[in-house]
Amino acid sequence: MIRVLLLGAGTMGTVHAEAYSSLDNVEIAGIVDIRKEHADQLAAKVGTSPFYSYEEALAQLEDVDVIDICLPTYLHKEYAMKAADQVKNVICEKPLARSSEEAREMIDYCHKQEVRLFVGHVVRFFQEYNRIKDTIEAGKIGKPAVVRTTRGGTFPKAWKNWYGDFAKSGGLILDLLLHDFDYLRSCFGEVERVFAKKIARKDADELSIDYALVTLRFKSGVLAHLEGTWAHQGFSSGIEVAGTEGIIDYNSAKNSPLKHVSREKEAGSAGVEVPESPLASNPYREELKHFIACISNGNEPLVTADDGYQAIKIAKAAQQSCDTGKPVAINELMEVDVR
Amino acid sequence: MKIGIISFAHGHAYSYADAIKKHSDLELAGVFDEDAVRGRKAAEAYQTTFYESYDDLLATDISSVIVTSENVKHKEHVVAAADAKKNILCEKPIATTVEDAKVMIESCRKNDVFFQIAFPVRYNTPVKRAKELIETGKLGRVLAVKGTNRGTNPGGWFIDKELSGGGAVMDHTVHVVDLLRWFMDTEVTDVYAEYDNLVSGGKIDDSGILTMTLENGVFATLDCSWSRNDAYPTWGDVTLEVIGTEGTLTVDAFDQKVNVYSDKEGVNWDFWGDDMDESLIRDFKESIKEGRKPSITGTDGLKALEVALSAYQSGEQKQTVTNG
Repeated sequence: MIRVLLLGAGTMGTVHAEAYSSLDNVEIAGIVDIRKEHADQLAAKVGTSPFYSYEEALAQLEDVDVIDICLPTYLHKEYAMKAADQVKNVICEKPLARSSEEAREMIDYCHKQEVRLFVGHVVRFFQEYNRIKDTIEAGKIGKPAVVRTTRGGTFPKAWKNWYGDFAKSGGLILDLLLHDFDYLRSCFGEVERVFAKKIARKDADELSIDYALVTLRFKSGVLAHLEGTWAHQGFSSGIEVAGTEGIIDYNSAKNSPLKHVSREKEAGSAGVEVPESPLASNPYREELKHFIACISNGNEPLVTADDGYQAIKIAKAAQQSCDTGKPVAINELMEVDVR
Repeated sequence: MKIGIISFAHGHAYSYADAIKKHSDLELAGVFDEDAVRGRKAAEAYQTTFYESYDDLLATDISSVIVTSENVKHKEHVVAAADAKKNILCEKPIATTVEDAKVMIESCRKNDVFFQIAFPVRYNTPVKRAKELIETGKLGRVLAVKGTNRGTNPGGWFIDKELSGGGAVMDHTVHVVDLLRWFMDTEVTDVYAEYDNLVSGGKIDDSGILTMTLENGVFATLDCSWSRNDAYPTWGDVTLEVIGTEGTLTVDAFDQKVNVYSDKEGVNWDFWGDDMDESLIRDFKESIKEGRKPSITGTDGLKALEVALSAYQSGEQKQTVTNG
């Protein structure tokens, strides 16, 4: 039995708690949230103890194997470092950290402490994205050439509007497009150059919207265009890969096996939008099941902390390109914090 | 109104000829083509006269001429038509260089002839409606546009840079740039482009992503790739995703189709929307008859061309370049 202490009872914390409680070999040792009501509610739902601070939880709990961090991005590093002093396994929601420097520090510290660090790049566990990768690798569309992705929906509403605070979340490029940076990197290898534009901060702040268009040029030659949006209504994600001998595409807005619409749906429900899965075991459950298996058997995970770091570097290059209006080569990326 | 067509090199010549046939007050009075076999065949198909030289065609009593030759030949043909005092409809891109485009515009101005560039997408009904929605403020202030104008590699002279001036970037940048300018009455100030030959082999660019900044602060991207393959259910697309302060607008100009699953022909998206080429020809005719200025001017053609050329310059320098 692997005992997990979950930090954060927000949207992602809830998703993780539900996934853990459905896994046979996992026990949720406790759930921490400084918001008493959130901690109480989620703990009651999955039948574990609520705690209102990390210290309180650790003082009371014994034999915690894993600390799972579902906190706002800017808190990831602080709690990952603390966790690495206490347990042998840390699972961290993406982005691994607010900056590549912080991510590096976390990885290095965990390495030094001989602690395993996992990062929740959940798109790697979406069947549609896996199928696309498999289809490309099977050569069904020839050599990949031009890729287009889209991801997003409404602006996420969360605790103290931390998504709306660029210093805390890194905005849409780091928080949302990171999924596609990581996934595309897993399909097409390393990125050579990045060019990006996003709407002005003034507009984003005034309207609580965000929107970015990013071009990635891979070392393999593949050309990719990414749309990240917190300016639309309702979550969707999509991808098209055009190759020398075929095209493969998927769009959750068009390919949807189940649709439920309430007659009086309240607009802009709380939290970050989590797509409902049509599968018996949703991608978040698959992801955590995989990490837990890796913890048990010592295998390398499908997506590593270093992958998480590399994706943040692409995000950083995209942000730098937005700031400068120029293309940014990944290998010339300035190792300074662009906050 | 008697119209001549100079060259069937560009496939649009056929759809314009078809459109002319639909108007009882228009007559396709003659055609010229450097490729005499192709020209004679077209003349026969459209029951009109084939002329051995464009001078012979221009010497007839036609009032108007459509230039649908290879891109690099637009200048020669438009200047000759202007000197012969004909009304002119010129296929896009206006030319392959800014110098040629300026000579054409000046030649038409000097001869005081009607000179229109063929940007048929302006006549697509959903596109026209999109312009209305933007102009009436339904989107609030426009912040960003994501565009695509993808297609199938046309082959032939299109992939011979000496005749086309460039590949997908030259062929497919100008449509969407024209729409951006037309929708928002603004100009492109800078361009970054990544392009390459990635799909079809050979040397000419067949894949490209442009990012543009506009004078009004809007940024826009455009996928101009010839990335549609044989098995894809249609030839290509024109799409625009417009992000405004008050909402978003999704335009998929040719998403007016029935899906056909044929054992004989495979899967096809069969278009049933309004015929934009016919609307273009109608507008050309009516503008001339009513003494109006052309809806799409030589300058519109030049401004769109400049962006395609800036894209090539950006690709060569691997930098953002100032447009125009």
